[in-house]
Amino acid sequence: MILQKCWLILFSTSIIFGQTGTEIAKMVDERKTPKDMSNVTKMVLKNSKGKTRTNLMVSKSMDGNKKQIIWFLEPKDDKGVAFLKIEYDNKDDEMRMWLPAFKKIRRISSKKKGDAFMGSDLSYEDMSSRDLQQNNYKRLDDKIINDKDCFVLQVTPTKEAESSYSKHISWIDKSSLLAVKEESFDKRGALKKKKEFSYNKIKEYYVMERVFVEDIQKNHTTEVIFEKIQVDMGVKANIFQEKNLKRLPAID
Amino acid sequence: MSRIAFKYSSHPLRRWFIQQSLDFPWRTIIIALLATLFLGSGVRFFLIDDDMMKILPKNLDSRIAWDAIQEEFGSTEVIFIAFGEKGKSIFIPDALAALWDLNEELEDNHEVEELTSITTATRMDNVDGFMEIEDLQPFRNLSEEEVGEIQAYLDKNPTLKKRFVSQDSEYFMVTVQPYSSEGLNQFRDAVVSIADPILSKYEIYYGGQAYVTGTMPELIRDDVIGLARIGILIMVIILLLNLRSISGVAMVLMVIGLSLFAMIGFMGWVYHLTGSDRFLFTLANTSMPIILLTIANSDGVHVVSKFFKEMRKKDETRLAVASTMDSLLIPIFLTSITTIAAFATMTLSPLEPLFGYGIVIGAGIAWAWLLSSFMLPAVISLKKWNKGSKAITEPSIFEKIIDKLGKVVLTHPKYVFSSGAIFVIIGLSGLSKVIVDVNMRNFFEPGSEIRDTMDFMDEKMTGTVDIRVRIEGDMKDPQTLSSMRILQEKMEENEKVITSFSVANIVEQMHRTVMDDKPEFETVPSNREKVNNLFTMYSMSGDPDDFSSLIDYDYKVGLISAFSKVMTTKEIFAFVESMNEQVKANMNPNLIVDFTGMIVILRDLVIMIVRSSALSIIFSLIVIGIIASIFFKRILWGILAVIPLTSAVIINFGFMGYFGIELSHITAILSSIIIGVGVDFSIHYIAQFRRLSRTIDKNKLSRAVVEDVGYPIILDAGSNMGLGALLFSVFLPIQYIGGLMVFAMLATSIGTLTVLSALAELLKNRLVERNS
Repeated sequence: MILQKCWLILFSTSIIFGQTGTEIAKMVDERKTPKDMSNVTKMVLKNSKGKTRTNLMVSKSMDGNKKQIIWFLEPKDDKGVAFLKIEYDNKDDEMRMWLPAFKKIRRISSKKKGDAFMGSDLSYEDMSSRDLQQNNYKRLDDKIINDKDCFVLQVTPTKEAESSYSKHISWIDKSSLLAVKEESFDKRGALKKKKEFSYNKIKEYYVMERVFVEDIQKNHTTEVIFEKIQVDMGVKANIFQEKNLKRLPAID
Repeated sequence: MSRIAFKYSSHPLRRWFIQQSLDFPWRTIIIALLATLFLGSGVRFFLIDDDMMKILPKNLDSRIAWDAIQEEFGSTEVIFIAFGEKGKSIFIPDALAALWDLNEELEDNHEVEELTSITTATRMDNVDGFMEIEDLQPFRNLSEEEVGEIQAYLDKNPTLKKRFVSQDSEYFMVTVQPYSSEGLNQFRDAVVSIADPILSKYEIYYGGQAYVTGTMPELIRDDVIGLARIGILIMVIILLLNLRSISGVAMVLMVIGLSLFAMIGFMGWVYHLTGSDRFLFTLANTSMPIILLTIANSDGVHVVSKFFKEMRKKDETRLAVASTMDSLLIPIFLTSITTIAAFATMTLSPLEPLFGYGIVIGAGIAWAWLLSSFMLPAVISLKKWNKGSKAITEPSIFEKIIDKLGKVVLTHPKYVFSSGAIFVIIGLSGLSKVIVDVNMRNFFEPGSEIRDTMDFMDEKMTGTVDIRVRIEGDMKDPQTLSSMRILQEKMEENEKVITSFSVANIVEQMHRTVMDDKPEFETVPSNREKVNNLFTMYSMSGDPDDFSSLIDYDYKVGLISAFSKVMTTKEIFAFVESMNEQVKANMNPNLIVDFTGMIVILRDLVIMIVRSSALSIIFSLIVIGIIASIFFKRILWGILAVIPLTSAVIINFGFMGYFGIELSHITAILSSIIIGVGVDFSIHYIAQFRRLSRTIDKNKLSRAVVEDVGYPIILDAGSNMGLGALLFSVFLPIQYIGGLMVFAMLATSIGTLTVLSALAELLKNRLVERNS
């Protein structure tokens, strides 16, 4: 769900020629996104030995995922655990967890962008929007991927971005301006992750319905599937409060 | 001279052998060389690898548990790098910067799977209600104050501190885990080449099983080359003294060299074709080339010296060669076959390398026999010998010594026999003193790099002997975690166990952090839900990979790792026994608990060495007894053949007991070598006794046999002094083998001339054979 901010792209359908990398990135960034969103997220992790872990969560978000609350449904052990995240522009993000067994809410650190989310191959950085000012965009030769004519952008984070990556290569479908594939490289310049995205159209938005990430170095994969997606349902701001962490919502 | 003109031998088989050498010398030489070249070409597959784990059979419980741990948690054979300066605190910004650089460089190396040090560790803090998981060393360059914070955190977490810092805070330690337990020599070289320049300002110590295993191939290679040089030098001296002919010496050396080449190549081929670790060249195999060198030398020297003797009588090369081979083909074959049989019993050993040792040296001995029986006489026959040379016309020093020695033995047989018997009695009383010990530390001399490092690790760090406990069960169950902690505490009650850690420690630490950092909550939570909440919370703010060396992906298998100082065999047995009792008494019976790690491996090795030695002695004596009975057509001869060998084995083990020489997987081969090499003396004696008994009066028989057989026996014993080269090994057990073998050769040769001759004399009425 949070992922949808970065790659969920809906823009004009006209085919664009001759743009620079920055211009393409700007068009992608300026796409229209839902005011709020809710879904059931299934996350399947698979390690190098083929062992898997599956998590099922209910997520609600608004303001382009700047506010998000997640309740864990599965595995059974995790049922009732909840997570609240509120992003701020001028201070550290706030992250809180409800630990039902301790009957305590605990704040957790949000300092390390490169930390994995829930043991997945997605880091908090992967799930956050990319600031146009904190990255340099270079257009590479266009490529055809899965029968889709794509722009290829090399995205290089600036020092201010404090990224855990040295660069990304993104393939953006020319017709929809949606990222269909991305490769991310670690600080040493070695390929770290390969990501693939697929989308579904709900109302006037293209909404991500699946993301597959492979950590090349760890030989570990994560597949995230978004189900029961609802957009612009009028989620209220007061839902993103500590007290709501303890209240597991009903699933339709 | 025509082929038909020669009657090389009365026996058709011997005649055929001799014909190949004398009638078709070039063909024989070329075939022998080509065959040796083909066999030796396997040298490209020859591999030196001394991994303690590969010594154990794969179906052994501790090996199964070990393999499971390697599969689930990655290689547990690691390299420790400790650096610092004696007398100075290591908590300084420069040292942490060096540590940072070292980690960066090592992380870049594709052979490194994981690093554990202050730089890679995380800290867990409760800051104003925040659960913070951060890098313990966040940056390369730190201020004095920041270094102080790291030190304070480690002081608060002594279990963590023990893994990263020496007890006196003078050294930092980095643990480097390889991707694979294969090719540890390259891994070791890579780690050293990275660490040495970065840490050049500090004292550096490398240790750990991966380092020792990685260093061993080079040490073994250097040792084998060095020993072979010394061995050959000793051989050349003995040969020159005995033969006094450079051509003769060169011919014997040719047999030795080709046999060695063929044996090493054979080992390579078998390893290549089977892929079995049994055919890796390990520390236990270090003595193998010298032993083959000795045996091949013995075969060759018999042929050449007998040829010189025959030349004195026959005055014609081909006739002398024919006569030599006619009388030596059977004894050389018999001594070879019995030696092979003795070594073949090593295949019954439960220790993997000893199986390979038995097979490979057997092949080498067989090749030496073939070369001595076909190629050597062919080469001798092609040379134009100077019939007036001293080598041919005069008896050698050996022959003169033997003449005098024979007289002493025969003049004072009772004294000689009594001396032998006293030695055996002394040996018997020393048997109970034999200590079984397989600690690698004791394989190296004090002052050697590996021994010093092991001592350093014992004294300053966590020790290098690891103990691993694999626990299969619900790792989120507080009962499981609590019982793991109790087991750890029990382990640490042993003063030699320095530290232990498991996921239970992490759970305790997380619990304390969540409960506002109150020390009283540094416990395993009371219910499963709480434990699960802690893991989930950690996964939201830390990397669950941090636990990958402690718990498996499914939270179904946990690992307790502990490190101890070097323990004696007795201490190891007591420790493992007490741990097993602890598991039975206090752990949930539904949990599957397997003890392994080097400490358990060492215990199992000890048990197997004892079993291996006993099996080897019993079976080699039985097999040799049977072979001798068959060849000499009497069970009594079979029994008599093994008596001097039994005496020599008793004396050998007795002396090991008296001199404190440990029985290890290296010295366990001693009994096979003694029996395999020593049996030659009995064979020579019995063959001569039977031959002379047909023509000489039985009252003069023993004297005649001793006079006649003394030369080949003492010649054999003299040739076997090449085993003394092993005294120059860098490995202590190999040195011991060298010393004991020299002694054993004297014991068996004299034993044969005394004990066997006395028994034969007593039983002569039953043993004498008359020509019908």
